[in-house]
Amino acid sequence: MEKSYVLSKEDFPRFLERLKQFGTVYAPTKVSEQSFAFKAVEREEEIAFEALRTILPPKKFLYPQRETLFSYDESGNITEPEVNQPLVIFGAHPCDLSGMKVLDDIFTAPPGDSLYIERRKHILVVGQSCIPDKYCFCESMGTDSVKDGYDLFLTDIEDHFFVEVATPKAAELFNECDFLIQASEPYKQAFKDFWHNRKDLFSNRFETSNLPALLDLEANHPVWEELGQKCLSCGNCTFVCPTCYCFDIVEIANFNGSGQRGREWDSCQFHGFAKVAGNFNFRPGPVDRLKFWYRHKLHGFQDAYEFPTCVGCGRCTVSCPAEIDDIVGVVVRLEGKDDRKSIYAKEPVL
Amino acid sequence: MSIARLSETNKRSKPIPTISVQSLTGCAGELLVILENLQKMLPYVRIQSFPFAQSKNSDEPVDITFVEGSVSNPHDLEKLRAIRLRSKRVVAVGNCAVWGCVQKGACSRLAVEEMRNQVYGAESKIEVMPASRIEDHVQVDVKLSGCPIDSTQLLAVAASMLKDHLPYVTKKPVCLECKLRENPCILIEQDLPCLGPVTAAGCGALCPSVGAPCYGCWGPSEEAQMDAMANVLMEKGFSLKEILTRLQAFGAPPELFTRLNQLQDQADSN
Ligand code: SF4
Ligand code: SF4
Ligand code: SF4
Ligand code: SF4
Repeated sequence: MEKSYVLSKEDFPRFLERLKQFGTVYAPTKVSEQSFAFKAVEREEEIAFEALRTILPPKKFLYPQRETLFSYDESGNITEPEVNQPLVIFGAHPCDLSGMKVLDDIFTAPPGDSLYIERRKHILVVGQSCIPDKYCFCESMGTDSVKDGYDLFLTDIEDHFFVEVATPKAAELFNECDFLIQASEPYKQAFKDFWHNRKDLFSNRFETSNLPALLDLEANHPVWEELGQKCLSCGNCTFVCPTCYCFDIVEIANFNGSGQRGREWDSCQFHGFAKVAGNFNFRPGPVDRLKFWYRHKLHGFQDAYEFPTCVGCGRCTVSCPAEIDDIVGVVVRLEGKDDRKSIYAKEPVL
Repeated sequence: MSIARLSETNKRSKPIPTISVQSLTGCAGELLVILENLQKMLPYVRIQSFPFAQSKNSDEPVDITFVEGSVSNPHDLEKLRAIRLRSKRVVAVGNCAVWGCVQKGACSRLAVEEMRNQVYGAESKIEVMPASRIEDHVQVDVKLSGCPIDSTQLLAVAASMLKDHLPYVTKKPVCLECKLRENPCILIEQDLPCLGPVTAAGCGALCPSVGAPCYGCWGPSEEAQMDAMANVLMEKGFSLKEILTRLQAFGAPPELFTRLNQLQDQADSN
């Protein structure tokens, strides 16, 4: 199915116009000195092509922060929301594409989440290549490149993008356009070189191939107590994670008897998350919760699905105010190699 | 049995549920929020007493009383006890009623008699007590914090109570609402002393959304990790004294600061 083309960067505005024919285009935009966020864009200049990680991952389009599951009127008639707005996610990197695949597996597993499934149908995904920074560790998680999970993928080869058209949806949208040119040999070589050379650019990495065994073996390692005591239980690590999927369900009543049932992202780092009837809490302290979170990201999910849910995007690392989400650092310590400098270590002040 | 149905069977009440809005020592901010939202509630409730907003008020038994303010003098206490006796449900509204607010938090290090003497003079007949939460004195059914409270939360709580639903008031931290709005974190990016991680949500992360650090005005979140919060701020160079002042300003209970206060005492005695 996959077809390879090249797009001259000068023609990008025309490419963008074509994407807009599908639906609203969301792309990384700069929102502060250090941060980016996916926002609706109209013009090329609004797009931050250099963005590596946005504050929230593209999961916010598949499974929004807050959504109404259904509303009911005074007589109990139920209305379900319409979630068929077509949209384009532009600029998802391999970690985020991998994250979306994890969410797909979770939300579409029978019986399936009907809102998620419906929303997903109307999304076109455009992947984009990237050069890792010091926080990226997708290479250690095996998510540094993807074979599927996108409609189009753009690899940056100097003044061109190498464009892979992967699905009929994308092929139809880009039918008959003169700005996508069949890729000739030199471009194919440039594409191969890019991905080959990129392998060597990861500085944040670990060697462990058997994470589950390591986590089982080191379940009582002192690192858990040490880091857990510093945890604020703020939940930032989970909201920013492309694969964290937990939600809370809230019902809001109106005076006239109508109301709404909605869901909102929740976090296993909150005290109330594991509280059950009788005021019993099976993860009462921050140490329990932090250990649980690490385990769920690196091990827990393998029990059921045979893959870890961490895709190595580094978002938790940069979003933790307590600076305790250096995942690679923790894995290296569990391996017994305490010599690695913390990723948070500041350069010495002169 | 729902409050609405209770009222129907109770001959002394009118069939439509009654509410009362009362204040102790506070800034009247909550009263204004309730006043602003009265239109939306009026078809479903009858205002039995609201001294701040109307001149004809009654002290008959009432279905729900919203109480603003902290208990800061003997008169507040007397009034609160009478409110409790005549109300089926008591809702504490605002940080003052729920946590004691600045008169309890920020002023806790000064002796209350001394403050009175400085403000009113030593000869003054004004009676004062150290400010306290209303739940320190009477049973409170629902606690709705805020400084001032949030309209959406107020209406949702009131509607739930009239429908006999358990009102939902979140105890999760401000960081939840902040991240859901996708704000850049000013604690991390600008080293501002944002108390979002230890403050209860409900405001929609108002302050960080406009680039100002959270002052903690909603009171502490559930199991707020004050030690860890202080640790983060100390690493950014804030003194423990300043950190304690900030964390305690809005009346968070002293038991959350056992370790930090010990540390400060040690530092003071050195
Ligand atoms: S655990 Fe952290 S690094 Fe891994 S996918 Fe989630 S946010 Fe990214
Ligand atoms: S690990 Fe960090 S981001 Fe996550 S809850 Fe703890 S302090 Fe917050
Ligand atoms: S800015 Fe404040 S409230 Fe927002 S995520 Fe950071 S610490 Fe939390
Ligand atoms: S962000 Fe903090 S200080 Fe600001 S309104 Fe909300 S709780 Fe109050």
